[in-house]
Amino acid sequence: MGLLTNLRDSISRVTDGLFAADDPKRIGIYGPPNAGKTTLANRIARDWTGDAVGPESHIPHETRRARRKENVEIERNGRTVTIDIVDTPGVTTKVDYKEFLDHDMEKEDAVRRSREATEGVAEAMHWLREDVDGVIYVLDATNDPFTQVNTMLIGIIESQDLPALILANKTDLPEADVQQIANAFPQHETIPLSALEGDNMDEVYTKIAEYFG
Amino acid sequence: MPHQCTSCGRTFPDGSKEMLSGCPDCGGNKFQFRPKGFSEDDGPSPSEPEAQPPESETQSSSQSSSQGSSPQPTSRQSPDEVNDTATAPDSDTGPTAAEDAPRSASEPADSKRTDPRSSKTERVSERTDEDAAQASARSDVVSPDELDQASRDVDEDPTREPADAEASDADRPDIGDLREELNEQFESIRIVSPGKYELNLMELYDRQEYIISLQEDGRYVIEMPDAWGISEE
Repeated sequence: MGLLTNLRDSISRVTDGLFAADDPKRIGIYGPPNAGKTTLANRIARDWTGDAVGPESHIPHETRRARRKENVEIERNGRTVTIDIVDTPGVTTKVDYKEFLDHDMEKEDAVRRSREATEGVAEAMHWLREDVDGVIYVLDATNDPFTQVNTMLIGIIESQDLPALILANKTDLPEADVQQIANAFPQHETIPLSALEGDNMDEVYTKIAEYFG
Repeated sequence: MPHQCTSCGRTFPDGSKEMLSGCPDCGGNKFQFRPKGFSEDDGPSPSEPEAQPPESETQSSSQSSSQGSSPQPTSRQSPDEVNDTATAPDSDTGPTAAEDAPRSASEPADSKRTDPRSSKTERVSERTDEDAAQASARSDVVSPDELDQASRDVDEDPTREPADAEASDADRPDIGDLREELNEQFESIRIVSPGKYELNLMELYDRQEYIISLQEDGRYVIEMPDAWGISEE
C-alpha cells in the first residue's frame, strides 16, 4: 500500500508540475500610480470569476493596500491556468497630500490618504520581495516610461528572475504611445491594451497563460 | 555579607544576582564590598566607597598626611597598622593586624596572611611586597578633603559638557548635513512634513521587516520577521 501511495504521489507531483493546477502562481500587478492596475485587476477578475478586486478611481493612490483575488482560472487554448492576482498600490518615490487637494478633498483626508498610500508602497515593495511569483507591470502609455521608479522596479524584477509581462495601458486615449514603452524596455515583450475598454484582452490572457502558467 | 548597598544598607551574599540590576529595595546601584567579619554596626557610609575607587597612587602622600586629622577614617580602622602590615609583611605585626582585622577594610589579605594553616599564606605574603603608595591606595580610607576634591571634579564634568554642546550647536549645519546623509543611507521612509513622504524604494525592498503603519509623530510600527519565527516555533 505504501508503495502504491508513494507512486500515486509522485505521479500527481509530475502532473502538478505539468499543469500547475493545484499551485496557483501569485502574480503581482505592479506599476506607478494611476497606470490602471486596479482597472486591469478588476477586468481580469470579472472576466474569469465575476467578482471585482477593488474600487477604481482617477484619483491617484486609490489602492492603498494590496488586494488579492485568489484562484482566478484563465482558460487558453484548452488549458487552464490558475493564478492569484495581487493588485498593489502604485509605487512612487514621493507622496504629497497636496496632489489630492485638487480632487476636492479636505486637507485632513488628503493627509491621511497620503500616509496610507505611503504604507501601501512599503507593502507593495514587501510583497515584491517575499510573495510574488510573477509580475504584470502596468504602464500608462500616455506617460513617459523613463522614470526612476520604472527603471528600479523592472531592475528588481529582473534581478529576482521573476517572469514579467509589460502592459502598455490606456490605448483608448489618443495620446497613447505604445512604441515608447516598447523602446524603454526592449528586453521585455510589451502588450498594448485598454483595461478600461477591454481592448486586446485576448492577447493579454494568452500572454498570462504563457508567462505564468 | 560581602556586598552592601550604600544607599539603604541592604546586604547581599557574595555572587548574588539580585544586585546586578540595582538594589531591589531602593534602586541604588552603588555597593560596598564588605568581607566577612566586617563590623556590622559601622553601617553604610555612602560617600566613602564612592570616593575610594578614584583614589590614585599619586594622592597617597597627601592622604597619609591628612589621615590623622580625619575623624571618620580613624574611627573605622587604624591606618598606621594597615600601612605597617602592608610594607612589612614579614614583621611580627601580623597578629596585631589580625586583632584589628574585623574593623579593617583590608581584612581579607591580612587574615590570610596571619593564618598559619592556610596554604596561601606564603604566596600572599610575597605578593604584599608592594610600595607604600600602592599599599595605601589599596587599603587606606580617603580623607574628607579628598572627598571634596573628588566631588568637585565630578561636578565640573557636567559644566564642561554643556560647553561641548554649545560648540556642537555652533556646528549645526554640519549636523544637519550629517542627518541628511544618514537619512539617505538608512531611512526607507522620510517624513518631510505631515502628509508629505519620500520613499527609498530600494531600502523598502531590501528590508526584512514589513512596515505596518506610519504614525504622525514620525514613528512607524513594524512587524519583525524574527518575531514571526519565534511565534512559529
